[in-house]
Amino acid sequence: MLRNNNHAPLPNIGDNESVHRRHFLSLIPPAFLAACSKTPGKIRLALNWKPEPEFGGFYAARYTQHGLNVDILPGGAGTPTVQMIGAGSAEFGIVEADEIVVARARGNDVVALYAAFQHSPAALMVHASRKFADIGDIFKKGGTLAIQKGLPFARLLERQYGFDKVQVVPSPGGDISAFLRDPKFVQQVYMTSEYLTAKRQGTDAQVFPISTAGFDPYNTVMATSGDYLRKNPEIAKAMVAAVREGWRVYLDDPKATNQRMNQLNPSMSLDGFAETAEAQKPLIETDETRKNGLGYMTRERWLTLISQLEGLGDLPKVPAPEDCFTTLASTNS
Amino acid sequence: MLSRLKSIIPALIPFVVLTASVELAVRQGWVHSYLVPAPSQVLRAMIDSRDELFTAVASTSASALLGFALSTIGGIAVAVFLSSSRPIQRAFYPYAVFFQTVPIIAIAPLLVIWFGYGMRTVVASAFVVSIFPVIANTLTGILSTEPPLRDLFRLYGASTWTTLVKLRFPSALPQILTGLRVAAGLAVIGAIVGEFIGGQGLGSVVDVARTQQRVDKVFAAVLLASVLGLALFGLINLVSYFTLRRWHASEQ
Repeated sequence: MLRNNNHAPLPNIGDNESVHRRHFLSLIPPAFLAACSKTPGKIRLALNWKPEPEFGGFYAARYTQHGLNVDILPGGAGTPTVQMIGAGSAEFGIVEADEIVVARARGNDVVALYAAFQHSPAALMVHASRKFADIGDIFKKGGTLAIQKGLPFARLLERQYGFDKVQVVPSPGGDISAFLRDPKFVQQVYMTSEYLTAKRQGTDAQVFPISTAGFDPYNTVMATSGDYLRKNPEIAKAMVAAVREGWRVYLDDPKATNQRMNQLNPSMSLDGFAETAEAQKPLIETDETRKNGLGYMTRERWLTLISQLEGLGDLPKVPAPEDCFTTLASTNS
Repeated sequence: MLSRLKSIIPALIPFVVLTASVELAVRQGWVHSYLVPAPSQVLRAMIDSRDELFTAVASTSASALLGFALSTIGGIAVAVFLSSSRPIQRAFYPYAVFFQTVPIIAIAPLLVIWFGYGMRTVVASAFVVSIFPVIANTLTGILSTEPPLRDLFRLYGASTWTTLVKLRFPSALPQILTGLRVAAGLAVIGAIVGEFIGGQGLGSVVDVARTQQRVDKVFAAVLLASVLGLALFGLINLVSYFTLRRWHASEQ
């Protein structure tokens, strides 16, 4: 959801982990998109981006040991997974927590099962030379801000700090060439991705996580439709168990899984895979998950997210927090 | 006037049938409104966001028109140049084809680097995608001047310039206008693609709306883009009617 820009990577830039998501495909009824991949008995897990470390645990999971025949569908530029789940063109899909709340508010019955990322990797990347003390400073001293205006966090930042002193331009996705050229360029990134690329290229890149401004939804969330969950509670439960084990494996030793994902997505180097897998660990394994299990979600955090989105006026009707997720992920056994 | 009205009716029937069936399908719950919006929702979104959409349409129109104008001038000039001799044509025509084959979505980020954020990138994008049909059609038109007329001009010792202005160009007009019709629609597409990357206009509205899962607003913006394309198309048809009606079969 965050990095959904889809500009083709520029030839002169070495950011192999370019993450370009934009919801071009959301203009196409999702039912057509994945319909071709349906085979009887198979369960489809639709990703919202290419095979990269953020999906490591989903690739590491041994689904067959849980009696599941899972087909992972890699995504692309803005695969509309939340709509695919609603349309039934994938049984399970990866979405962001805020997408679930908005979808539910619009009548799309999507339910979160497992929150792989407890904290959002979304951040604003700046040049350290500008000596910003906190995220609020970014909006006081001019320059260019590349951000996706439609995203909830962008509008929260605008409400909190105002965008009148910066020039707001569309996010170039994973492309950091403008950042490399312009010392006054600020862009939205994943701190587990573009930021690492910028560091590798020797820049003075610095990140301010969006969470420091108070917006920190669950990220890379496995979800299904309410209808599917009611009809197949056992499958959903087995999926959560398999995925939780998968993430445990991936956190402990990502090497084998990285090699497999690298074959599916050679545009990211093995070193890049390893580096990102390491950088994302603190976002996945927290005190909360050590106590309650990986993927754990709480009603409080859903409630916080819902009230933040409600404050933005995004919700035609306000969903109840307990409808947004199931407690499958908290029955840690 | 009555005949004009009669010619519109056949085009209206599919529109009414399609709109009514989509409305019915959504209202009956056969199709979810978060996948395909009901036409009434789209209309509502248009009314609710009218100020934002108006500004966006104005911005996209300006960029598309400017890009289209540049394509028209540039395309005709290039075609005239190419028509001047066979060797020149052989040398440069393949490069003109480049404009048609270039995937605009891939080079749009480069346009931002060259032209910066904002209108210049959007105009450049509209120009790049719309120039080729102008070149190709104008060139074909100029090259297919009727040989007997060409001979006649030569016989009277007309200069190259006179032949071009008084014979080749007028006789190429039907083809040029065909090229412009194609280019008009493409200029709108090019402008919107440019806006995805460069900011502003309907492209930006679509981008924001789909991030917010506002399918109704996406359709509202897309519909307005189509109307813009149609308006440009209509404009060319008008020009075509007034320039060709007295002598060309296509407008009689």
